[in-house]
Amino acid sequence: MRQKRPDRTLGPRHQPFWDGCAAGELRVQECAACGKLLWPVMRACDGCGGEAFAWRTLSGRGRVVSWATFVQDYYRGVLPVPYDTILVELEEGPLFLSNPLGFTEAEIVPGMAVEVAFLPCEDAGGPFELPVFRRA
Amino acid sequence: MRTGTMIDKTMPPSVPELARKAAIVGLGETDFGDDYRAQRAKAEGFEPRTPERLAEIAFERALADSGLERKDIDGLATSFLYGGPQPGEVAQMLGLRPRHTMEVFGIMAGPIPQVCAAIAAGKCDTMAVVYAVASRSINRKFGGEKMDDDSGAPATYYYYHPWGWSSQAAHWAMCWQVYRHRWGLAEEDLGEVAMQLRRNAQGWPQATMQAPMTIEDYMGARFIVKPLRLFDMCLVNDGGICFIVSRADKARDCAKPPVTVAGWGEAVVKADKLDTLIRRQLRPQFQAAGAQALGMAGLSRADIGHFEGYDAATMHLVNHIEGHGFAEPGTTLERFRQGDFAPGGKLPVNTAGGMLSGAYMHGWNHVAEAVRQLRHEAGARQTPGLSAAMTSLAQTDQVHPIVFTREA
Repeated sequence: MRQKRPDRTLGPRHQPFWDGCAAGELRVQECAACGKLLWPVMRACDGCGGEAFAWRTLSGRGRVVSWATFVQDYYRGVLPVPYDTILVELEEGPLFLSNPLGFTEAEIVPGMAVEVAFLPCEDAGGPFELPVFRRA
Repeated sequence: MRTGTMIDKTMPPSVPELARKAAIVGLGETDFGDDYRAQRAKAEGFEPRTPERLAEIAFERALADSGLERKDIDGLATSFLYGGPQPGEVAQMLGLRPRHTMEVFGIMAGPIPQVCAAIAAGKCDTMAVVYAVASRSINRKFGGEKMDDDSGAPATYYYYHPWGWSSQAAHWAMCWQVYRHRWGLAEEDLGEVAMQLRRNAQGWPQATMQAPMTIEDYMGARFIVKPLRLFDMCLVNDGGICFIVSRADKARDCAKPPVTVAGWGEAVVKADKLDTLIRRQLRPQFQAAGAQALGMAGLSRADIGHFEGYDAATMHLVNHIEGHGFAEPGTTLERFRQGDFAPGGKLPVNTAGGMLSGAYMHGWNHVAEAVRQLRHEAGARQTPGLSAAMTSLAQTDQVHPIVFTREA
């Protein structure tokens, strides 16, 4: 069964990311001018201002930088509280905000190794695969 | 959410030519504590005040405080963060006939420098700067609402909706998580900030929160975004604040000692927003903006005798103090415990309780307390002989300090 999630930001520029997730790949923008890897999706590179990008598939491996558990219900029941969020530093550099899969905040230590997994979800835009992270 | 004219958020440059051109000569505030308690009591017939009424009360009090008359006010700047009338309507409501009006952004990031620049440019001599919000009455929530913005870098946190990450509180929760592991601190340690600010609030009659807070109270409160608890987060309350700002030479003739605007700074995160905020704790921005403000004022950090930092969360205030160099990284909580940041300590901080226990007035409350301190009107919380204070507003991606001085 697919999990209900708060709505994604959708549009042509965001589609390659979600297409990647559907194919089981974590892809981010790579600036054609300076090579910086960017997340979340940006109109212009925050390093050099370049506006041409390629999509690069990452390893999906990373380490936990920080984490926090939502107890206050900001989404009015769409996402049952409490739930954990983690900030992952991907092997290739970008930071990725996500959720843990198969472990909880109580087990996290800084620098813990994780790898991407894809969770079947749905929102107003339809079914999609959400990148989350499990212990590596 | 709001309609009307576009608000110009451009900051005037941090240059010595604009330093000390204007001073705050009047301060008026609504009764934050009384109004909050009346609202909580839900007494029959209680009607929360509209932003317009809050603005009117603050203005009347500021005008009386300055000793000026309506005809002396020839400029008006308004700020209704969550919607309100246009400056022209406000002028009519307040009985003013300003030759210059402007709408300034709600939080205390740009208004004071913008007003000073307008006065320095000769657009007016004496300006009423009015701010009001009814955050509590409109049931404002600080997370979860949809606000898509894919306009570029740095993208807003609303992008992270599908992972359930939407609130301001989560930023400070992640900051604290990094900080406490980096420095080997316990959850109780952060309570030092909440408890000190509560003690400070108890010294100010109009503070929203007056009840004593123990470490048991702090630890026993519910989590908002774990590891942050209720008392790590700022208040939500209604209110209005008005400053009367006058050209420096005219300011000397007013009823109260003028509080001179001596310098300001601005630093905005341009890239790697989450990394800058959560791992670097905005340190580069605090350092850059602080140096601008002090440089403009011709002062050094050691000259600052009182500090007011935008305390959206306990951890946020820790970032301010360390970022501006008032404490070595990792030492702030221990120094709170030692009383260094208490009234009478080495550097009194948020002496009216800030936004954690004083009043959530988006940084305007911090400037108001700096005014009281520099006038030497802060009673038992007064910093003796104070001549220079710094206020510092910071959001998740920008820092705006202001340096105020009392002229000898």
